Amino acid sequence: MTVVALDPSRGLALCAGEDGRSSVETALVEPVVLGDRLLVHAGTAIAHLGVS
Amino acid sequence: MRYVDEFRDPELGRAVSAEILSLVEPGRHYKVMEVCGGHTHSIYKYGVDDLLPANVELVHGPGCPVCVIPMGRVDDGIAVAQQEGVIFTCFGDMMRVPGSEGSLLEAKARGADIRMVYSPLDALRIAKQNPDREVVFFAIGFETTAPSTALTLKRARAEGVSNFSCMCSHVTIVPPLRALLESPDLRLDGFIGPGHVATVVGARPFEFIPAAYGKPVVVAGFEPLDILQSVAMILRQLRDGRCAVENQYKRVVPYEGNLRALEVMAEVFELRPHFEWRGLGFISHSGLRLSDAYAELDTERRFAVPGVRVADPKACQCGEVLKGVIKPWECKVFGTACTPERPIGTCMVSSEGACAAYYNFGRFAREREVV
Repeated sequence: MTVVALDPSRGLALCAGEDGRSSVETALVEPVVLGDRLLVHAGTAIAHLGVS
Repeated sequence: MRYVDEFRDPELGRAVSAEILSLVEPGRHYKVMEVCGGHTHSIYKYGVDDLLPANVELVHGPGCPVCVIPMGRVDDGIAVAQQEGVIFTCFGDMMRVPGSEGSLLEAKARGADIRMVYSPLDALRIAKQNPDREVVFFAIGFETTAPSTALTLKRARAEGVSNFSCMCSHVTIVPPLRALLESPDLRLDGFIGPGHVATVVGARPFEFIPAAYGKPVVVAGFEPLDILQSVAMILRQLRDGRCAVENQYKRVVPYEGNLRALEVMAEVFELRPHFEWRGLGFISHSGLRLSDAYAELDTERRFAVPGVRVADPKACQCGEVLKGVIKPWECKVFGTACTPERPIGTCMVSSEGACAAYYNFGRFAREREVV
């Protein structure tokens, strides 16, 4: 999924993917910036895939 | 799309297929287990096994999170869901897994407040929206999803959400692999390692397989070319008389895993002495529960959970499918009494289940050219 908005105070990112948009926990892959591609499982990013 | 298109290129697929053909020894039969249900799904969806010579057999392993949940655990979930004031939340696939007296979906139809969520964060959100109700999250999955549950429990504590708890049914991948390797039923030549579990735990935990059992392991991605290349890497090791853990999925999997994820899991969870697996029985140190430090968020300490043990239906052969002893189509009820619409066994429920994947994609082309 691709990061489209960040909420650093809550440790969340709004991410867009094939199935739409959802809130994603980013604590395991910080730091995260807009445009980052993340591997997301069950609402949590577990790996960075680079920048789109 | 980056990371997708280049891994689905038919020309490259045919080239790797030709390489595989050059690596096999005529007259020898190779059995390679893909551990993860995600691989099983991709193999059937993209017809990967049609690109392999007939003497290279892919055997499906126990890595589908929904498939390994025993009937008794479903019954336990329903028992909690039916308690007064409870909102029971779980992933969509889990709602269709049959228990001894029906599924969570059927319990919902009978009046229990059972809701599908996409993540534990969704369940926590429901808890915050319903402070007068007890919200339970039925946590399933391997090390891939366990960090998500752990982070949500930490968040629940930090935000003071006291009406939220977790019925932890997370499992770990190494103990069942060890059990399979000790099983006399199965002779395997190598393993396609679970790429997403390895994203969290790294490739190192699989080193016992070559070290103690002399079998190669290649941690692999989930696109068709990933799987084909991992088969080629395993066959190359076998041809060269080597066995080691190799990482085909380097674009995602660090050899040491995600250290932050491992840290948060170690804080929130501890190993159970044993945990029951569908078809595999009780396996020592294979399941996770909440640590004492998180006792107040543990459903099993807050509610009466019956701890039901239920034998699998006699007609269902999910156990043999999960162990790779039989193929989905060799099960007595496959495609007749057991279909994705009306599953008897767990392997027919999830898209990662071998039976569902084969039913949806693979049953149309099984014959292959013999080398």
